[in-house]
Amino acid sequence: MAQIVLDKVDKTYPGGVKAVDGLSLEISDGEFVVLVGPSGCGKTTVLRLIAGLEQITRGTIRIGDRVMNHVAPKDRDLAMVFQNYALYPSMTVRQNMAFGLQMRKTPKSEIDRRVHNAANVLGLEEYLERKPAALSGGQRQRVAMGRAIVREPEAFLMDEPLSNLDAKLRVSMRTSLAEMHERLSVTTVYVTHDQVEAMTLGDRVCVLRDGVLQQVDTPQNLFDRPVNLFVGGFIGSPSMNIVTAQLIRDDGEPTVMFAGHRLPIAEDVVHSRPEIEAYFDRDVILGIRPSDFEEASLVDETWARMSVTTHVTEALGSEINVIFVIDAPPVEHKDVADLVPAAEKGGAAVPLHEGKSMWTARVDAHSRVRAGDQIELGVDTRNLYFFDPDSGLAIGDKQPPAPKLSRRSASAAALREQR
Amino acid sequence: MTQTVHTVDEGAVASEDVTAVEPRTPRPWWRLAVLLIGALVFVFPFYYMIVGSLQKQSNTSLSGVLPQPGNITLHNYGEINAALNLGRTLINSGIFTGGVLLATVVFGVLAGYALAQLRFRGRGLLFVMMLLLLMVPFQLLIIPLYVLIVRNYGLGNSYLGMIAPFAINSTAVFIFRQYFMQLPKELFDAARIDGANEFRIMTRVALPLVRPAVLTAMLLTFIGPWNEYLWPFLITKQQSMQPLAVALANYMNTVQSTVSNPFGAILAGAFVLAVPAVVLFLAFQRYFVAPNIGSAVKG
Repeated sequence: MAQIVLDKVDKTYPGGVKAVDGLSLEISDGEFVVLVGPSGCGKTTVLRLIAGLEQITRGTIRIGDRVMNHVAPKDRDLAMVFQNYALYPSMTVRQNMAFGLQMRKTPKSEIDRRVHNAANVLGLEEYLERKPAALSGGQRQRVAMGRAIVREPEAFLMDEPLSNLDAKLRVSMRTSLAEMHERLSVTTVYVTHDQVEAMTLGDRVCVLRDGVLQQVDTPQNLFDRPVNLFVGGFIGSPSMNIVTAQLIRDDGEPTVMFAGHRLPIAEDVVHSRPEIEAYFDRDVILGIRPSDFEEASLVDETWARMSVTTHVTEALGSEINVIFVIDAPPVEHKDVADLVPAAEKGGAAVPLHEGKSMWTARVDAHSRVRAGDQIELGVDTRNLYFFDPDSGLAIGDKQPPAPKLSRRSASAAALREQR
Repeated sequence: MTQTVHTVDEGAVASEDVTAVEPRTPRPWWRLAVLLIGALVFVFPFYYMIVGSLQKQSNTSLSGVLPQPGNITLHNYGEINAALNLGRTLINSGIFTGGVLLATVVFGVLAGYALAQLRFRGRGLLFVMMLLLLMVPFQLLIIPLYVLIVRNYGLGNSYLGMIAPFAINSTAVFIFRQYFMQLPKELFDAARIDGANEFRIMTRVALPLVRPAVLTAMLLTFIGPWNEYLWPFLITKQQSMQPLAVALANYMNTVQSTVSNPFGAILAGAFVLAVPAVVLFLAFQRYFVAPNIGSAVKG
């Protein structure tokens, strides 16, 4: 049984920096768990703690059923793949892959068999006698994976293994990784800062921030039910649009108001979120995902309407991102401070235009909207997100997320009519 | 100065139509002269050493600079050999220098690796103290070292006694530490996870990578023990144990009065002492080019 259990793990460096704070996590045997978060959130530290390359300050780590706190890395039966591959430069590919097995006094015939198998699976047979300096980035990455595979460990630990590859190679290696996991079913802990990688690879994804675990869940649940503003803003690309809004009852009909827009919302939206009653006539943080917008002409009347002026469009081929200005200042909250790239510290989570937020809406690829146009957008109010303006916690939705089937058929029909 | 250029459609640009290329600006002649003078100044002592060692009668005047046919003899070499036994003393020098080099590299690599890669309490303090020790002049240490090595360890008049004070070389430790620090940390992490203990990591992973640094350290360390006089002189009691540098220096005080051309004999001995060093430097001169010294190996 190679399950990994972390129980209230702390890691404090001398000097007082607390890299990991009270982390508790259970990883089942054969599960692919992704640790994701912005730079400096402690995800690599957690991986190194599991590997034994760093000492835990408090808490316990169990691998299988053994407590591993004081066990040396070489005795934990784990294999690790590093971001910059860390291949031994003076050894050939074959020797690199055989090294770990030699250290464990595996018989030579067994070493040869495993190295050959791994080389076959990874397409490295012709490179076995080459040294790392004579390999391309993708090949080196595969050698690093091969080195981990031949060990047949209890678990794989991967520290951003795809970050150093170019975009196309990254996508194909992602698929290879997923295939390999299907085939081998070895417990894997994978660290990345790229949330797309996290969503596509993970059985479950752990979102970390400043050493604290924010949420552990399946990728879809993280997307649909973020537990706080940070997770909501981190997961999903383009990011969730947020604004400080007011909830009122307009003639008894619940309405959310922000920046001059009024969106009526159905009663059951309010009913499925019992705690939201306390937020009427108060400030609340509203979140709308870009994918919950659409051109108004393509959706039915149950969707609320918003009329906006397009600032910029991004044509992606499969869809168009419409970027427009919202007449409201950016949301200032500690949860969204991390979402700004380091270079723009002091800026807002959402891009700004003259001090006002810019939002992104995703519309059908064949929409004829252009920069500067007035466009009427439909908003799927069933999937609105609400967050407490002080704590940043989500105001929970007890209903399962609504499927978007009606939207697809409506837009397809509308398109056919237009042509 | 502009040249007229014939365009292609006016016909091929014949070489005779094009104005001759301006001759390169010649290097200033005085630069060459200065360099030549500098080279002469450095080479002259070696040259004179050879000439002087071949003189029958010592001729220290200016005319003696050029070898005179009537004054050439190999007799001086025979003289110095008879007095010192060049073969024996060369072997002593070889053992002494070789021993120091071996100890320097072995301990330097071990200490350098520990200071660079291992984490232990007092690591920084140790490093600082090591650097401070470099500032202590050897002459200050001679008496306590003598008492320690000859009286306490009983290593008087032995090769080990000769090598001991020089076996740990702070400069070499420093070089290796800097070198190891340039290697990526993940390399060693990967080896630890693969199951290697620290010693295996050092021999299988780190050592193959520091070969350039080893060679550099050896070349830099070579000349010290090869030329060393004071310590081997103190510690040896018999002439048969003395390295050539020591024996040669003593020759001037002891036997020279019995020989017709003492300077010639000394220069002959000096020549024999210099040859291995010069040959070594010539053979490995490319390793002394600045970028190579302490440069990292990229994996």
